[in-house]
Amino acid sequence: MRTRTASFLVLGFAGAGLAASVYLTIAHYTSPRLLACGSSGLVNCERVTTSQQSTVLGIPVALLGCVFFATMLAISIPSLWGRPRFRWIRLLAASVGMAFVLWLVYAEIVVIGAICLWCTFVHVCTFGIFVVVLFEASRPPQR
Amino acid sequence: MSKRRKARRKPPARKPPQTKTASSPTATSKRRPPPRGARRGVLPRWAPWAGVAGVAGVVILLLILRTTSAAAPSSAAASDVIAGVTGVPAATFDAVAVPGNLVAPHALPEGTPPIEVGGKPLVLYVGAEYCPYCAAERWPLAVALSRFGTFSDLGQTESAGIPEAYPHTPTLSFHGSSYTSPLITFQGMETATNQLGITGYGKLDTLTQAQQQLFGKYDAPPYVTTATAIPFVLIGNRYVFNGAQYLPDVLRGHTAAQIAAALHDPTSPIAQAVVGSANLLTAAICTVTDQQPKDVCSSAAVTAAAAKLTA
Repeated sequence: MRTRTASFLVLGFAGAGLAASVYLTIAHYTSPRLLACGSSGLVNCERVTTSQQSTVLGIPVALLGCVFFATMLAISIPSLWGRPRFRWIRLLAASVGMAFVLWLVYAEIVVIGAICLWCTFVHVCTFGIFVVVLFEASRPPQR
Repeated sequence: MSKRRKARRKPPARKPPQTKTASSPTATSKRRPPPRGARRGVLPRWAPWAGVAGVAGVVILLLILRTTSAAAPSSAAASDVIAGVTGVPAATFDAVAVPGNLVAPHALPEGTPPIEVGGKPLVLYVGAEYCPYCAAERWPLAVALSRFGTFSDLGQTESAGIPEAYPHTPTLSFHGSSYTSPLITFQGMETATNQLGITGYGKLDTLTQAQQQLFGKYDAPPYVTTATAIPFVLIGNRYVFNGAQYLPDVLRGHTAAQIAAALHDPTSPIAQAVVGSANLLTAAICTVTDQQPKDVCSSAAVTAAAAKLTA
């Protein structure tokens, strides 16, 4: 994967994730019924976004998602991509993001018993970032 | 510090300037090894694959955990469970009588038209297999109805897992069962399974138009406080209630066989809840059977329960 391609891939995932996180944050602060998503059965966004696990220390996880994707956007622009220090920061941020997503998936599947499609989209974006950053970190730096 | 290490630490700036000759790159590479990380990344080459495999492994593990924690589908009730439910001794009914913390059926207004099927008063139950309160209510209902007739093909199941309250409450199922009695007609409708799919719980029994009318009319205020709640029980044109008569918590941690066995011990909390509720139901049913059968309806426990029914 070329450096430029990797940078744009992460920017794409982060942009899409940020858009979905902003939507989820708006829904959190207004009405969960705003979400275009199923509200019965396994797919039930309302049940997930109004669950106890939808906030951490009083902060909505959707808002944490916004912060995460905005940070990834900022540190993944092509001019910063090749700098070794940012490589480490990206790797650390992507790993923390992925670990948090795994906790959220655990909460959805085991604790809440419902899946939120919008949240799953955000999780996929985080996984995409994690994969690209991991592969980039295992390659020699290119400028 | 050794001479060798000192030589290695010699600053590159002091080295003579390099010229672009055919031999210089080889010489440079010998004297100045590329910095750490220049030929490889900060992670070993296998790390990304390990990361992806790790994430996939965790997700698969969670899905397996979810699958194993799903409620078991209903099956035919075990013979010891049926024997326990249908064979509660009269002495146990009387010993339990009516503990004070049970919900009694509400009386319908005077002048409510007769609700009969086949010339006999109708006892209608509407519930669902996933519902934990239905799981609790089926036990006393089956115990009480067994005093007026005979069940066959009773099912055995449990309420749904998380996110429902009181997950995996062991219970019976009226789906596919039949009931015969010379005194009453019983219709037990389980509208949904305990298996959660993408769009909700699986559909099971469909209410007939007549049942739907009774459910729509009597499972709503002023007859009950919460509209369309289940379980819904209608006893002829005399009594109605929705919700369970006791909290399903008392059944937690027990198997269906243990619950059925506990019904014969009047001192057990399960018998207090289930048999006590059954006495109230029996008293309500007796009002539509002209107090028949006599030995049941005139028993000490049923007489005491009749006094507690809301007029």
